[in-house]
Amino acid sequence: MDILNTFRISGSALQAQSLRLNTISSNLANVETTSTPEGGPYKKKSVYFQSTPLTFQEQLEGNLQGSVQGVQVSKITEDPTPPRKVYNPSHPDAGEDGYVEMPNISVLEEMVDMMSATRSYQANVTSIKMAKRMAMKALEIGR
Amino acid sequence: MNTIDSPGTITLLPPKAADTSAVSKSTSGFGDMLASMLDKVDETQKAGDQAVARLQSGDAKHLHEVMIAVEEADISLRMFVQMRNKALTAYEEIMRMQI
Repeated sequence: MDILNTFRISGSALQAQSLRLNTISSNLANVETTSTPEGGPYKKKSVYFQSTPLTFQEQLEGNLQGSVQGVQVSKITEDPTPPRKVYNPSHPDAGEDGYVEMPNISVLEEMVDMMSATRSYQANVTSIKMAKRMAMKALEIGR
Repeated sequence: MNTIDSPGTITLLPPKAADTSAVSKSTSGFGDMLASMLDKVDETQKAGDQAVARLQSGDAKHLHEVMIAVEEADISLRMFVQMRNKALTAYEEIMRMQI
C-alpha cells in the first residue's frame, strides 16, 4: 500500500535522525575527554546520510512512478581538524610544554546541530501523521 | 541484440497468459478477496502485537518502529471494517428487494 510506503520512508528518516542525535550527545558527553582507547583526545564524530540503495525491483518501480527513497546513515565520520590546545601543566595528559590537547568540539555547534536534528525528526513525524490523516480521510469516503 | 526479437523468446509468452488466468480464477469471488484481506489485516495486527511485546520486554531498538507497526495495524483494521460495512450494506439492500 502507498500509505505504508510513506511510513517506511519517514521511518528510515526517523531512524537516521535519532542516530544523528546519538552522535551529537556522544560529542557533547565527550567535550572534555582528553584520553581515548585509541590514544589522543576524543574526535568529533558526525553522521553521513545517504539515500537507501534500492533493489532492482524497487528501482524499476521508482522509475515508473517518480523515485521515492528513504535515507540511512551509511557511515559515521571523524572530524579531522586538529585538537584544541589548552595550557594546563597540572593536567595528567599535559605535554612537555604544559599544553593539553582537548577535543575539537564546539558546544555551540553541537547545540545548533541538535536543534536541527530535533526539527528534522519532528518534520518526519508530521509527515507520518499527515499520511495517516490522508488515509483516514480516504476511509471516510465510504461512510 | 537481435536475440530479443527472435521468435524463441516470444514463444515463452503463452504459458504466462495461462498463469494469469489461474490467478484470476483463484481470486474471482468477493469472499476470497475478503478472506485474503482478512489474512493481511491479521498479519499486521500480529506484527503490531509483536512490536509492542518487544517494546515491553526491552528488545525494541526504536520507539518509532513500534508506533509505525501499531499505526499500520490500526489503518488496516479500519479499512477492513469499512469493507465489511459496505458488504453488509449491499447484503441488506438485496434482502430488501421486492420479489
